[in-house]
Amino acid sequence: MIKSTNKELIIPYLILFIVMVVSIYPILYMISTSLMTSGEAANQYLFPKKLMFENYVEVWTSNNFQKYTINSLIVSALVVSGVLCTSIPAAYAFAKIEFPFRNIIFYSLLLSLMIPEIISLLPHLLIIRGDIFPLPFGPSWMNTLQGLTVPFFGNVFIIFLLRQYFKKIPNELWDAARMDGSSHFYFLRKIVVPMSMPIIVTVSLFAFILAWNSFAWPLLILTRDDWFPVTVSIYSSIREMGTNYNLLMAACLIAIFPVVILYFFTQKLFLESISNFGLKQ
Amino acid sequence: MAILQLEIKLNYMINFLRKYSNQINGYFFILPAVLIISLFGIFPVFFGMYMSIHKWKVFKGRFLGFENYEKILGDISSFWLFIFGLLLMIFSYWFWSEYKNKLKNLFLVFIISIISLIISLIIINYSWAIMMKKGDEDFLYSLIYVFYYSFFAITIEVGLGLLIAYSLYQKIKGKQFFQMILLFPYITPAVMGGAVFFIIFGRADNSLLNQFIGFFGFEPQIWLFDKRTLSEIFFGVKIKGFFAGPSLALTTSIFYGVWSYTGYYAIILLAGLSIIPSDLYEAAKSEGASRWQTFTKITIPLLMPIIFFLLLTGFINSFQAFNHILVMQTASAGETMDVVTIEIFDHFWDRVKFGYAAAEGVVLFVILNVLAISQYVIFRKRLSYD
Repeated sequence: MIKSTNKELIIPYLILFIVMVVSIYPILYMISTSLMTSGEAANQYLFPKKLMFENYVEVWTSNNFQKYTINSLIVSALVVSGVLCTSIPAAYAFAKIEFPFRNIIFYSLLLSLMIPEIISLLPHLLIIRGDIFPLPFGPSWMNTLQGLTVPFFGNVFIIFLLRQYFKKIPNELWDAARMDGSSHFYFLRKIVVPMSMPIIVTVSLFAFILAWNSFAWPLLILTRDDWFPVTVSIYSSIREMGTNYNLLMAACLIAIFPVVILYFFTQKLFLESISNFGLKQ
Repeated sequence: MAILQLEIKLNYMINFLRKYSNQINGYFFILPAVLIISLFGIFPVFFGMYMSIHKWKVFKGRFLGFENYEKILGDISSFWLFIFGLLLMIFSYWFWSEYKNKLKNLFLVFIISIISLIISLIIINYSWAIMMKKGDEDFLYSLIYVFYYSFFAITIEVGLGLLIAYSLYQKIKGKQFFQMILLFPYITPAVMGGAVFFIIFGRADNSLLNQFIGFFGFEPQIWLFDKRTLSEIFFGVKIKGFFAGPSLALTTSIFYGVWSYTGYYAIILLAGLSIIPSDLYEAAKSEGASRWQTFTKITIPLLMPIIFFLLLTGFINSFQAFNHILVMQTASAGETMDVVTIEIFDHFWDRVKFGYAAAEGVVLFVILNVLAISQYVIFRKRLSYD
């Protein structure tokens, strides 16, 4: 840390203040516009004259918005639990169990991070339609919940993060547990998972945000609105709403609410892991 | 007798299981993840390659060979020439960094790397011109646009991020709070963030940003709806090709990229700053160095590996920017916002040319791999120092 007098700190404070305003401004704009009448919003006033909380009610009850938000919640929750179920054992095995070809398998999985999402989108679509091989649970997964969630159950990056953390757990613990006749699964469930709660919470948040933000994939595979997530509904309403910016902003605000809440609760862990894995990529 | 045999067999099996229980457990633990990742992560690339050599509109058609690639690139050999030019460019850097301390004749090393750099530039220029003439202009332009997007976005993001990180590194109050706010744009979903930008950067004269720049006496702009390039706006010249610069619409989407990622890079750079030993600063202070001098002479050189690394990984990641650009796309900006991912998406979603889109994807994949090779070449030594 650099020691300095107060006078010298004016510029850093000024920079940080400007950055803070710019970072938070779109959200503040969202909040203030969502409370305006449509006339005020169209003229892009800075503040509403009278707070219109009715906007939220109107958005929430109209156009199936409620249903879309719940869809998003269901999809994101499923994706998070699915990712955790596959990633925790895999990360544990890659970190602690010795078996042949372990590193080769792990690094070839890591290589798949190199593949741009847009390339896999097309073959994914064909897999989901059941064109390439027969799928369980129905001939085609178009317009279904499993089509929205299952492709995201495996996440290499999350396995990588968890593995880094599991590696730090001392091997003596496992030796002691094995003496007492514990299996790998029992050891993982009773010792490793409780010890690694910080990283598990972080990756859950990470997976939740990814799933909540997912946009191109639902746009592709959903032709009916049964499972529309909130992102797709907002995308289609951007152009339809005309100048009813107040309603659009109210919808956006409702849609980012879960992410923001989760972020506030986990921001410290989130920050720590970004400053760690950012360097150790 | 039979029972005995069975018992022996059973014993043998139990022993086998005991002996290999680790292996079996290991494979059992990784099975679900590996299955899903190889199915949805790795298999698609090979299948994409398979699709790209067929006529494929919704359903598989006849075998085409490299016809799709020829349509996209003009002729394939000039594409490989282009890739060779890129690799030569990397080679010239590698040669310089590898031999400048080893060989005594510094002049010779310098000449060789400069010559290979110039040759690589000529090759790139020449092969690009051929591809432009014969190939799919839309796709090639989309590569130029994504280059603009990635280049400007990542430079501004890391540059500003450095400034912010350095400010945060001073002894200020509320550091935790500032950091929390900084990451806020990063977690904001692209669709919602894009919606806000869509309004703030609106076409109307009284849109918020137009009011803001009007405050400083500038003319109102139509931002996302403007397909004029920056060179046309600032200098009034109409040029075509690489040096025209991004359109105002694309610039606006660069603003979005900067808004959402700067904080993220600032946090990573801050972590990098905090591993610089503090006695270096104290030494500089006792020598009477000014704040600016310490920043340029100590902080920047020591951070250089991390800055470089972020620039390159960020560049590769920005090549895949998609969501917010799709949200902010407008009809009147035309194709100037069609970065490569949008172009591919457009081909298979709107025009249902699956095989063609897959071929475009493979081309993008090759280019990204070349960038990744350059990253490996540049960082193979530097990354090991922490």
